[in-house]
Amino acid sequence: MDSPARTAAESPALPSGAPSGGRNGNGDTHGSAYGIREPGPPAMDRDSFQAASNSILGAINTVIDGKPEAARLALTVLLAQGHLLLEDVPGVGKTLLAKTLARTIDCTVSRIQFTPDLLPSDVTGVSIFDQSTRAFEFRPGAVFANIVIGDEINRASAKTQSALLESMEEHQVTVDGTSYHLDEPFMVVATQNPIEMEGTYPLPEAQRDRFMARISMGYPDRAAEMEMLETHQAISPLTRITPVVSAAQVAAMVATVADVYVSTAIKEYTVSLGRATRESPALRLGASPRSLLQLLRAAKATAALDGRDYVVPDDVMTVTEAVLAHRIILDRRAASSGENAADILRGILEHLPVPRDPAATSPRGFGARTRNS
Amino acid sequence: MSALLDRATTGRNTPGQGPQDTGTKKPGMGVQPWLMAFGIAVGVAGAALSLNGVLRGWAWYPPLLTVVAGVSFSVAALRSVRARPVLVTGGGFVVLIAITNLIFFRSSSLLGIFPSAQSMDAVGEALRRANETVISESVPVAPNAGIVLVCCVAVGVLVILIDALAVPLAMPATSGLGFLAIMVAPALLKPQSVGAPGFLTAAAGFLIILGCSHWFAPDARLAADSTRNPGQARRALVTGGAVLAASLIVPLAIPGFTQGTFPQGSRLNTWGTADGLNPMISLGNSLRAPTGSGRISYATNATNPPYLRSVTVDTFSGESWGPDDREGSRRPGTDRFDNDSSLAPDAQVRQVTAVSAGNFTSPYLPAPYSPDSVSGLTGQWTWDPLTLSIKGTDTSTRGQQYTVESSTPVLSAELLARASAPPTGISGIFSATPLDVPDIVRTTAQSVAGAEQNPYDKALAIQRYLRSGQFTYSLDSPAQGGYDGNGLSVLADFLTQKSGYCVHFSSAMAVMARLEGIPSRIAVGYAPGRLTGNTVAVDGEGELTEYEVDSRDAHAWPELYFEGIGWVPFEPTPSRGVVPDYTIDALSSLNPNSDDQAPDLAPGNPEATVPTATPTPSAEAGVGVDSSGTASGFRLAPALLAVAMLLVVLAVLGTPRLIRSSRRLRRERPTPSPTAVPLAWDELQDLGADYGLPSLPSETPRNYSQRLRDSGLLGEPAGVDNAAHIAVATLAADFERTAYGRPVENTSAVRGDLMVDDLVVRLGRVRASLAGNAGRIQHFRSQWLPQSVLRRH
Repeated sequence: MDSPARTAAESPALPSGAPSGGRNGNGDTHGSAYGIREPGPPAMDRDSFQAASNSILGAINTVIDGKPEAARLALTVLLAQGHLLLEDVPGVGKTLLAKTLARTIDCTVSRIQFTPDLLPSDVTGVSIFDQSTRAFEFRPGAVFANIVIGDEINRASAKTQSALLESMEEHQVTVDGTSYHLDEPFMVVATQNPIEMEGTYPLPEAQRDRFMARISMGYPDRAAEMEMLETHQAISPLTRITPVVSAAQVAAMVATVADVYVSTAIKEYTVSLGRATRESPALRLGASPRSLLQLLRAAKATAALDGRDYVVPDDVMTVTEAVLAHRIILDRRAASSGENAADILRGILEHLPVPRDPAATSPRGFGARTRNS
Repeated sequence: MSALLDRATTGRNTPGQGPQDTGTKKPGMGVQPWLMAFGIAVGVAGAALSLNGVLRGWAWYPPLLTVVAGVSFSVAALRSVRARPVLVTGGGFVVLIAITNLIFFRSSSLLGIFPSAQSMDAVGEALRRANETVISESVPVAPNAGIVLVCCVAVGVLVILIDALAVPLAMPATSGLGFLAIMVAPALLKPQSVGAPGFLTAAAGFLIILGCSHWFAPDARLAADSTRNPGQARRALVTGGAVLAASLIVPLAIPGFTQGTFPQGSRLNTWGTADGLNPMISLGNSLRAPTGSGRISYATNATNPPYLRSVTVDTFSGESWGPDDREGSRRPGTDRFDNDSSLAPDAQVRQVTAVSAGNFTSPYLPAPYSPDSVSGLTGQWTWDPLTLSIKGTDTSTRGQQYTVESSTPVLSAELLARASAPPTGISGIFSATPLDVPDIVRTTAQSVAGAEQNPYDKALAIQRYLRSGQFTYSLDSPAQGGYDGNGLSVLADFLTQKSGYCVHFSSAMAVMARLEGIPSRIAVGYAPGRLTGNTVAVDGEGELTEYEVDSRDAHAWPELYFEGIGWVPFEPTPSRGVVPDYTIDALSSLNPNSDDQAPDLAPGNPEATVPTATPTPSAEAGVGVDSSGTASGFRLAPALLAVAMLLVVLAVLGTPRLIRSSRRLRRERPTPSPTAVPLAWDELQDLGADYGLPSLPSETPRNYSQRLRDSGLLGEPAGVDNAAHIAVATLAADFERTAYGRPVENTSAVRGDLMVDDLVVRLGRVRASLAGNAGRIQHFRSQWLPQSVLRRH
């Protein structure tokens, strides 16, 4: 579970990607994993949140044709303070999506092209002895940016991957015993090519778990592809993109998402979903507790994007596939029968009763149905 | 209304900003329950008017009226204090029990109204009496406590049923069924008519109920959406009008109704039974039947077709006369009967008659008098030595083919005139005169026959009197005059009205003969039949002429006892049967037609118009559907049973709907509560389920609302039913917020109150849209077989 580069012990049950909080080192996680915010950027009101999110999505959609769900999910992950894994065949716009998302926000962006000879220090940074000052000077690596795009992450060695993953987990970099905090918001968008796996280092399950969501872009439909050919011929659409929100605004949006209310019924629903994946005969490995926490965060972001300040079961359902599909492992028989994780998750959702808030269910209502059997 | 829509659209109820009109109006209160109760009471009391004719006189009406008024107005009182529908209906039953206790069992009840052990005994006794009445008496029956109790309870239950149909079930038009249920019994039982006044009053009550349910519109459909009002009103009026029209037209279309319209009276012969306990009672109805049934054919070597006798009636006391079976003294076997003629065998003519009873079903075996032996029967048969009536113990006449050997004394006027000795060799039961013989019978007997000395002359005088022009044969006038049936009081009416049919003539002669000292009894059976034109080969007799009779030939005639001769039949009924030779001489001058020996009967008799050559197809058909023959009748039992079954069937059929609507009313209770929104959501899901779109357990509220809106059950989203679409969407949103949103600390009464009304309005829109877009069958299913009740998830 722990990456080799980690120096400080932390409970593996604690999730990654918590809102910024532990700025004073590893020892003080300060409940950040539980979503309790320290005084930070104030939450936005609903209208400005909607306006900001709509402008981001609108901007993305001008570049990426026919993939509004992918764009929305990417934004969801950003607002839920997770990291995104884009996994698909080459040429469907993985990197374009990542770049577009980064460009719409007025923030620092860095891109790492992962190769087998990439070193960890290329990612995290390196301390160089400065002759003039006779001191070690830290030269930050590519990870020091608000949005880090890691292209073809599976082509780098495990050690280099781990360096990135540690920073993803802890929002900090430790070089030569010194911890450097990363700026917020911080999001890693990694792409991965599921074919051409020769000579690559596929992400182990534990590390895939660090990504809040995985998106498969899929091919665009015919009309979108036509549109793409029309508009993208002359110039790269990226050049037209200008930032529509500032980093501070994004931080406020993140705070708004953290404010979204999750009722007991929804928590129960999430727990039931997790247990159902663990009990499913088609799955060898079900959803981890950490993944459920991430699921709920993503659901909160979805609710906020939908203009609500509370989570409904539909939010959980919407993000279930993206959040859980890359973490669960199919039973051999299920895998050989051609099912994939998304199918199995859909099947589980179809049979999972939707809860009702127990407090709202009338105990004496004549014939009132309790639906959480 | 637009403000309401806006509010519904935003889904957020702002306290104090909602429209006040929906917030203040509480459906179903105020004067409405009382007017509704008035309508029900008027309708039921009017419909019950038609029971006159089933029950004699009017003594039964005040208690019935008390029950009707008491139950309906107490139900209204309960409703006006907004009791739950179930409580209202239950309260109605409690009041019904209390009132019936007060009326019928005051002395034995606790405090006059609560049932006690003694009063339960009294109930049992009353029910036993009612049962006796129902089984043994013919309409109109005397209103004894038992039968009135049964009527009161039945009518009380119907009041509750009508109320339940009209108010909580919101089907005012259907409540007409309740009135119909009351009028069915008289329509089936009563000889002439339900009666226009009763029918019109019931219709008036029905219209009050319809109007009341429309004016006050307890249904959210009407209150919510004014654009639907005309449609609703039209539908209610059309339904009500259709019910009335159907009640007038349907009888025309159904064979078996003798007259056209409902108030004109109608008699279905569907519940004829085969027990034939009292042929006297069924006789009038058999004669009035439009088509003959229970055809019996017989071939005989007698020169004239004989009377077929089934049974005798020899006790003339009590409200209603019936055969006394004297089970104890009956003898088994039909090989040999003791001939009760006092004449020497050589003074008698031996006759052989082969009878085929066909579909005629009765325990009593029709046979020519007096039988010596009967052969060819199956089953156990017994005979009464006193009357020679033959009765099956474990069998009936149905399908029997048997041969009767009988002896008929050769009688003449001279022979009879000589038999003047006082009767000695005869049981006293044939001479007993009841104590309560009405004066008119005594005086008539005295004036007619008192002057004669000889028993034969007395008998002739009585027969002559009854066959004289003063009397007319009529099947209908006794029924119209309320003296249909038999009994001493009927006899008095008959002698006053001087119009009736064989039962009246024969009983008049029998009773007057007894008053004059001649032992008598009434024989019930068949008048001589018509030639079929066929012959039947009978062993030892060769080819015999065949005759046939059916229920229209049912007849009753007196038999008088003459010492030294035996029982002698007479024929006092004008235009029916055959006047015996031994009475003709004295009569011929008076009644030239009476010696008519032909099978044809005198003109003017409705039965005489039936073709005589062969059985008519209609008669055959009648045999096919109704095999009960003369034993079938219109007694109370089958009709009451039918009404009871109708009620049970109605109750069973209505139960899912009742459960459904009480569930709905419970959810839409105007009490503000934090569960109002989840309950409204439950209701919406049930509504969807009723129209074939149940929600799935794994379905989220918004998915369900989307599926409901996409299903087409609500019509096009942007069309006329857009309000319903908005209502569904906002209900889902409201429910989501309540179920998953941040708990709201402040659910003030005002807000909750507004909220509930708003929810009810929205549910009403959805309901109206579902009903409007559903097909007829689908709508019917949703109303009567609601899947939300019948199927659980």
